[in-house]
Amino acid sequence: MRYRPSIIPLASVGRVAICTALAVCFAFSQGNGGAITGKVIDQDGAAVSGALVQAKNLSSNTIYKATSTASGDYRFEALPPGAYEISLPLLGYNAAPQNVLIEPAHAARADIRIADTSLNTAGEDRSFFAARNGTHATPKGPAPRTRDGKPDLSGVWWPPRIVEPIEPSLLPRAAAIVKEWVATNAKGLPSARCLPNSVGLLGVIDINKLVQTPTLLVILYQVDPADYRQVYLDGREHPKDLDPTWKGHSIGKWEGDTLVVDTIGFNDKSWITDTLPALYPHTEMLHLTSRLRRPDLGHLEMDVTFDDPVSFAKPWTMKTVSDLAQGEEVQEWICNENNQDAEHLVGR
Amino acid sequence: MKRKLCFLIAGVLLFGAAASAHHAFNAEYDANKSMRWTGTVTKVEWTNPHARFYIDVKDANGVVTNWNFEMGSTVQLRRQGWTRDSLKLGDQITVDGYPAKDGAKMASAKKVILADGHSVFSETPTDARPADSNHQ
Repeated sequence: MRYRPSIIPLASVGRVAICTALAVCFAFSQGNGGAITGKVIDQDGAAVSGALVQAKNLSSNTIYKATSTASGDYRFEALPPGAYEISLPLLGYNAAPQNVLIEPAHAARADIRIADTSLNTAGEDRSFFAARNGTHATPKGPAPRTRDGKPDLSGVWWPPRIVEPIEPSLLPRAAAIVKEWVATNAKGLPSARCLPNSVGLLGVIDINKLVQTPTLLVILYQVDPADYRQVYLDGREHPKDLDPTWKGHSIGKWEGDTLVVDTIGFNDKSWITDTLPALYPHTEMLHLTSRLRRPDLGHLEMDVTFDDPVSFAKPWTMKTVSDLAQGEEVQEWICNENNQDAEHLVGR
Repeated sequence: MKRKLCFLIAGVLLFGAAASAHHAFNAEYDANKSMRWTGTVTKVEWTNPHARFYIDVKDANGVVTNWNFEMGSTVQLRRQGWTRDSLKLGDQITVDGYPAKDGAKMASAKKVILADGHSVFSETPTDARPADSNHQ
């Protein structure tokens, strides 16, 4: 798919031409720093709010971040003059990075048009997903406890929100796989064939239902990574010589009020979609360490450390929070009942 | 050069469909080709992974083609107040959406508008057709 930036790259354009090419180029008197402002909009021209915008100084590699407002506007101020690359680093809305030259005490404008239309499918609009993946009203109060005094993680939970940026460092093998995924528009995503996606304990696409007993935590998935998972709490160890599976083998132990879950035994077929919109590959070496806490009635915290020495230069940790999904219930989901997409996935 | 820059900066595949992610939208549908169809509803499939509806579209020469439209899952549609009766056989509707890249008579529906101007399956259930609609 071709990316079409809304501003001509300025690497080779002269100074006067820059000011002409930009929509707005005006002077403002606050010190010598420059500013970049703009609007994040979608293909239909509607504002995109809450988009993380990044300005990277191409000489110093210093990164500045801003977030688009409800009207889609973003602003960087007091930027040292120079060439910057404007991009949407985390949201991945298929917006091509743009180069902008900042003159001293001048403001430049760079509107960012995203091309991600999947969030505009009827029934799956952007506002619906902003609502579902954002924060929810949750009941107040302490976390419930089980009869043996442990926090009770049981409940129906909205998908986890990533609360800190993550940047796994990919080894060449994994980077090459990602490059192929980019080239084919991710047409090989296993869930397109109703196969499991994601590797973490909590599915990221829809609600998860946790049912905790003293010896077993059962996780029922609305959509992802599969129908269910068992986390054994009865003190057993991982079996020797595990056959690799889509969801691996999980055992959990309490450390105070934190449930620490160890998962190994993955096959290499699923894609790590826990980090959406970023996707990563993994191998059978993948080892997850998940720490679950219920700090209060309405929240489930999960920190997951991904360790795969074949895919990543070092382990990396993702921190998430899930909100209690009151009034929700996991419904039957038979993916194969009417899956018509698989044969139409052409890629580019 | 621009494509390479894009990849180097990201370093990873940033998959915009944080939505369903059941499958990659851009691998199947042409995101650059927004189209509009008008026709008559011939079938509604209230199924997973996607609810679907089909319409007969008549061209200028009177030739009728049946088009297959994909929507969100029934779980997601129900959450927003839509049901399997929200669209009825015989409804005259206008659909905005994105066609399949492989030339199949399939598309991803973005907007579904009834003849009376109400939207169905949109994010605002207040757009819904009135409960006692005189449309049969």
